[in-house]
This record gives sequence, C-alpha cells and structure tokens, in this order.
Amino acid sequence: MSDPAAALAAILRQRRPEAFATWLADASLAAGASFDRTAFELAFAGAGRRFGTDTIGGGITLTGASGRAWSIAGWGLDDAARALLVLGAVAVIPEAAQPGFVDDLYRAGASRERRALLRALALLPDPQRFLATALDACRTSTLPVFEAIACENPYPAECFPKPRFNQMALKAVFTGIAVDRILLLATRRSGELARMAADYAAERRAAGRPVPADLALLGAP
Amino acid sequence: MRLFDPHVHMSSRTTADYEAMAAAGIAVVVEPAFWLGQPRTHAGSFADYFASLVGWEPFRASQFDVRHFCALALNPREANDDRIAADVVALLPRYLAKDGVVAVGEVGYDEQTPAEERWFAEQLELARRFDLPVLVHTPHRDKKRGTERSLALVREIGLPPQRVLIDHNTEETLPLVLRAGCWAGHSIYPNSKMDEPRMAALVQQYGGERVLINSAADWGISDPLKVATTVAEMRARGIAEEVIATVAWDNPVAFFSQSGRLDLEAGDATGNAFAGNTVRRG
Ligand SMILES: [Zn+2]
Repeated sequence: MSDPAAALAAILRQRRPEAFATWLADASLAAGASFDRTAFELAFAGAGRRFGTDTIGGGITLTGASGRAWSIAGWGLDDAARALLVLGAVAVIPEAAQPGFVDDLYRAGASRERRALLRALALLPDPQRFLATALDACRTSTLPVFEAIACENPYPAECFPKPRFNQMALKAVFTGIAVDRILLLATRRSGELARMAADYAAERRAAGRPVPADLALLGAP
Repeated sequence: MRLFDPHVHMSSRTTADYEAMAAAGIAVVVEPAFWLGQPRTHAGSFADYFASLVGWEPFRASQFDVRHFCALALNPREANDDRIAADVVALLPRYLAKDGVVAVGEVGYDEQTPAEERWFAEQLELARRFDLPVLVHTPHRDKKRGTERSLALVREIGLPPQRVLIDHNTEETLPLVLRAGCWAGHSIYPNSKMDEPRMAALVQQYGGERVLINSAADWGISDPLKVATTVAEMRARGIAEEVIATVAWDNPVAFFSQSGRLDLEAGDATGNAFAGNTVRRG
C-alpha cells in the first residue's frame, strides 16, 4: 500500500479493532473538514492509552513523500495512531500553518509524542518544511527521542544539510547507537564525515578507550 | 522491599541522587509541579517545566531503573502572581492529557489568599474534568487552619475524598484528614515539618490505612532518601512489615492508580524501553 494513512489505518484496525472503531468516532477530526484542535490534542496525547505501545513488527513498510519505502517494524502502535492523526490534521489545516503546527506539537510533546512526530516527518507532504523541528530533535539528550530521528528514519538523509547530517551521525556513534541504524547513510558519505570519524577514533585511542567497531562505516566510501 | 516516593522534586536533584535512591530501594517516584526555587515571570516557563516533567525527567530516572511520574498544576505560591496565573492554568488542559501525568498537583493554600483559593478551586474542577486524583499542599504557617479550609473546599467542590491526597501533615492535622476520608501524606525532612521517629509514632498510633510518606526533596535542605530512612525507623520500632509495605508502597500505588495511568510495566513513565548504554558513561 503506498498511501501511508491507509496503511496505518489498516494496521490499527487489524491489531486493535475495538479501540480503532471507537477512536475513529472520537477523533473524527482525522477525516472531517473542520479541524478541532482540542479534540486532536486529546486524541494525540491519549493514543498510547488507547492502543498500547506494542511494536508493529513484521515486514511492514511505508512509502514516504520521496517515494522511498522503509520498514516501520520498530514503531509502536501508538506511533502509528499518532502518525495517522498528524497526516489527517495536515490534510485539513492550511499549508502555511503546517510547520508551526508540527513544531508546536513537538515542543509540548511527552517523549512518545515527540518520537511519533519525528517518525512521521518523512510521510508529510514536502517534508523539507519540517526541518527546524527535526534539527531541534538532534539536540535532545533524551535518547529515545534522538533515536526516533536518527535511526530507522529516512528523514535526515533525505532532508538534512551536510553539516547537520554529519553531526547527527557522529552523535549517534557517540551515544552508542549502531551505525547501521542510520538509513541511507551510503547516500550521505563524504570526505568531511570520514575525517570526523577518523578524528573521533584518534580521540578515543588517545584516551585509552575502545574505538567502536562500526565507526569505520561512517568513513568507508 | 520496593519503595515508592509519592512526592519528590527530582528536577532539583542530581543523577547521584537517583543512583542513591535506586540503591535504597526507591523504584517509583511522583514529582508534583511546584515552584523552581524562585518565582517564574513568564507563563512560558511553565510550558517548558511541564514538558520536562513528561519527557526529560522520566528519561533521566529511567537510566537508574527508577520510574518517574508527575502531577501538574499551578502551585499555591505562584498562584498569587496575577501576571501569570491565568495563563498557566490555561496551559494545563493540554498537559494534563499526557502519559505519565497521574494527578493534578500541588494545588492548595500557602498564605491562604483569595487568589490561592480561586486557583485551588479551578484546578479541583480540572481534576474532575480529566478524571485525575489531586495532590494538595498544605501551608507551613497556620497549618491547621489551612488544612481545615482545604478539606472544606474539597467538600464544597464535591470531589470524592478518596481521590484527594492532603500532604505535609503533622500530629495535629493527620486525624482531621483521615476523618474526612482523604489520603494523608507526610513529608519527612532533616530538620523541619516531620521526622522519622515522629512519623513512626504516628503509624503506631493510627495504623497504615491511607497514610503515605515522602521526602518532598527539593532545593531546600532535604534528603531524597527519607522514605527509606523512615521505613528503617518503623522497622526498628517493630512495626509489622505488612503495615510498612502499606505505607511505603501499596498506598501510593492505590492512590495514583486512580488516574488509570500508573503503568508500572513499561521502561519509563512514558513507555520508552531504555536500552541502557552510554548515558551513565563517565
Ligand atoms: Zn512539594
């Protein structure tokens, strides 16, 4: 299925049929023409209590705005519900208001809300418009939030300017994240990223600390 | 024995405190929203504070296998600042809906002003609307009167007493709170309010039903291990283990479970499984 909203709805309907049926009635905003911000916020905040946080698992992929498909096996059911809500909201609110809307949701979000938003960014139309939110997420120290943008997410490789992508990749290594969790890394390798990786390896050796085995993946052409 | 600190301001503590608390058996904490050592001058400061209590702080706690939940409110002290009070209370509905929020609090009286009463009452209504229990701060000065007024306001608004925890009790206020049907919290401090021997004596006199203990640890002189040291004092006096477990675990679990959001299973209070790698790295 290439329509992400339809794919997400299908997952929720199949995994949590009862919750999905009642939720759709409560969250009619997702389909309705008039957008009720208060109803949206309640549904968005309460998605975890409605659907739980079990992971989607299996070989389920979504196709983003760029036409690329990627696996969402690691998403929670709550991530799927929140992504579906955001897709619905973005479909009805004015285009110029969308980046501000997403950024405001991110700033006020609890950890799992922030994660879901970051995971959904690549699904939104013209995703480059949400770059400021994604870059802000790279500055967090709440690791699960950082992982949501840096790992199993095509957004950074598709949208980040080179210096920001390089910083994110190095921060991933620095925080102990496996390099192969960064999607499309091969498309963003550069001499500068290789230099940063080499310098980091030298710094670790000088400190008598082990060099992460997968650090070389950042630099290999 | 797993311990529960139902009132502790972890935003003021270091990671070394989390480590010590975990080592002392404290597995779950509730951090009520209060002030930050000095008054805030912008409502937006509260938005960041609330976001921290549902995001950053639970993550910080999870690194030490401590589960962190919170209560959110405009506190009684800053309720007196009419330049920000209405805007802060207007923020609350958005945040009260979030995972990890297990009560409205701390609300209540500080200097017992009309402004405090207004926002106390409005936030009791918010608790009803969001189906959340309430954590009530009682004043340190003129405490008995303030506690009586708090109980009267709860009655007037019509909140069921079993959904209300009245905190910072003393020998004089505990019987009033128990008689009203509310839960009674006690903040154990190094040299004010309540200490371990007096607390143990209260449990000997009144039993454990609806009685809770906390460290309240914040920016003042306080100790985040007070739940553990009070448990040790109760044990030394021969209070039955089941009574100690009622006070230090079962009661806070029962009280905050009324929110429907005290999920003790997942990785942190917002359900993030934490893989545990580099953040503890020196
Ligand atoms: Zn307090």
